[in-house]
Formats: sequence, C-alpha cells, structure tokens
Amino acid sequence: MDGLNKVLVTIGRGVGGVVGTLYQAGRDTIDTIIRNILPFMAFISFIIGLVLVTGIGDVIAQGIKGLAGNIVGLLIVSVVCAIPVLSPLLGPGAVIAQVVGTLLGVEIGKGTIPPQMALPALFAINPQVGCDFIPVGLALGEAEPETVEVGVPAVLFSRLITGPLSVVIAYVASFGLYS
Amino acid sequence: MNIFTNAETVAEPTGVWGAIAGGAEYFISIFNRGGEVFFSLMGGILPTLVVLLTAVNALVRIIGTDKIENLGRKAAQPGLQWYPVRYMVLPFLAVFFLTNPMAYTMGRFLPERYKPAFYDSAVSYVHPITGLFPHANPGELFVYLGIAAGITTLGLGLGDLALRYLLVGLVVIFIRGIVTEWITARMLARKAA
Repeated sequence: MDGLNKVLVTIGRGVGGVVGTLYQAGRDTIDTIIRNILPFMAFISFIIGLVLVTGIGDVIAQGIKGLAGNIVGLLIVSVVCAIPVLSPLLGPGAVIAQVVGTLLGVEIGKGTIPPQMALPALFAINPQVGCDFIPVGLALGEAEPETVEVGVPAVLFSRLITGPLSVVIAYVASFGLYS
Repeated sequence: MNIFTNAETVAEPTGVWGAIAGGAEYFISIFNRGGEVFFSLMGGILPTLVVLLTAVNALVRIIGTDKIENLGRKAAQPGLQWYPVRYMVLPFLAVFFLTNPMAYTMGRFLPERYKPAFYDSAVSYVHPITGLFPHANPGELFVYLGIAAGITTLGLGLGDLALRYLLVGLVVIFIRGIVTEWITARMLARKAA
C-alpha cells in the first residue's frame, strides 16, 4: 500500500510540475505579448499606414531605392550606422533599426527593392546593435570598471570593421535566395 | 471598422466645406490603413507567436538555465578550439535560453579580456535569432519582421530567409568576437605600457 502511495504521489507531483510549468510559460507569453509586442505593433502599424496613404512613402522610396537596392548602397548604410559616435545614438531599443526595417519591408513588398536584398539589408541596418548598451551589458557580465573603459571603444571600433563585413557575408550568402 | 465610409446615397459636399470634408476623410484614411495593418499583424503572426513563445518558454523552464553555466566555464579557456565555443555556441545558447538582456550575464564566467568580445558577439545575435526563435527578443522583433513582411507581401516563403539570417548571424558573431577580442587585447596592452 505504501509503495502504491509513493508511486501515485510521484506521478501527481510530476504531472503537476509539468502543467504548472506550461501554465507559467503561457502566463509569461501573454505578459510579453501585451507589454512588448503589441505596443510595438501599434506603433509600426501607424507608421506603415502613414507611409502607404501619404506621399511620404514615395519620397522615402526614392532615397531607399538608391541605397538599399544594391550592395554598394547597403555598404554605405552599414558604415554610417557603425560610426562610433553615431552607433550609440542609433542603438536604443533598436527602434531605428525596426522602423527602417519596416520601411524596407514596405518597399520590398511594392517591388522597389529586389527580395534577395532582404538578407544583406538585415545586416546593413543593424551594425549599431547594442552599441548603446555596452557598459550595462558588460556590467551584467560582472566586468571590472577597467574592462568597461577598454571594452566600450573596442566594441565601437570593431563594428566599423565587422559592420560592412557582415553585409558582404550576407550578400554572398544571399545568392540563390528568392531567384 | 471604417469610420467615415462613403455611403454614396447623398451628393458629395462641394466647395470649401467639401474640401474640409475631403481632408477629414484623408486624415482618417491614414488610420484606417494603419488599423488594417494592425489587424493583419494580430491575425497573421500573433497567434503563431503566442503558441511558439509558450512552447519555448516551457522548454527553457524544463531544461533550466543552469546547464549552460557549465559551458560558460569551459568557454573561458584559452586555445584556438575554444573560439567557436566562446563566440558561436555560447552566445547562441545564452541568447536562446536567457534571452535579451540576461544573456550578457554569461560573460561573468569569462576572464576580463574576453568580456567585451563576448558581449559584442551575444548582442549581435539578438536579432538574427528572432527569425526562428522570437522568444529570445520579443521587444525588437520588427528588425526582422519588418523586412519579412515585404517578402510575405510578394507571396514568398520566409523559411529560407529566416534560416539564412540565423546562420549568417552565427558567422558574423564569430568574426565579431574574434575582431573585438583582438582590439581589446591591443588596447589593454597599450594601456599597460
């Protein structure tokens, strides 16, 4: 009888644990959706509506077409985004990268930019990723103040090399994509 | 959903008032269009996202984040064979399991000279991973989703782009880690001199 009880308790505990975990995962998900995803969707929807209805879209399209439609333009974009003074300013919340990404998406959808440029474009608009967050990120890794002092310029200068390089790699890797 | 839609049962207002009314319609059409986009996002990607996030969140909870801490300790070793571990495997697992921004806490297992490079490597992966695993950085999905929306509009599949983004991302963070480690080493040497 005791053995049976033990088995039942073990099973019950196991099932309860799994269900509890799944339920908590669902709760976390809904929390994330409401707090992080929906607000940004609202913001992005407004921008897309504005771009599609007003003439702003056509003006942006002209500018973007020259830059995002070919590899040279994308390299220029990546170098600008990687300039050490600019990159920390462009970084916060990846808001700029997300807005530019959305604008590019609209132009790809309209056929202004060929779809195979999507992959290099993803890297071209993002060499500044995390450049605003270096001291905090290093602090999360329990870095010494001296490491932060060296780390901030090291990462910023590294981006100047690896930013354009990532665009080239992505461009090469995009051969055969959507064609 | 549309406010101010034309019923076409009465004549359109003309003159100054007509111009103002036209302006009002134009004004509201911006938000109608935005609303349509919002609705298509809610109906299109959100349901999938909810289920996917729940599944991955559960998986992360079941596996537990303590497992990758051991890898963090291993990645701290010098030697060529640990470069891919430090700047590819560890950032990937850290971003997958700990998500942005807690992924950067894995840097605490590494010696000081590797920390900037690891941060650079990990932070550069928080967007390439969202193509397939959006749970890792739910607040910044639109870098990928924005561009992906255009591909969807053209009626093309996203799997190819998402996978290539993920893989090219791995190559890029590997190179980024090596370059940043090298620059950090040089700056530390100059500082010590």
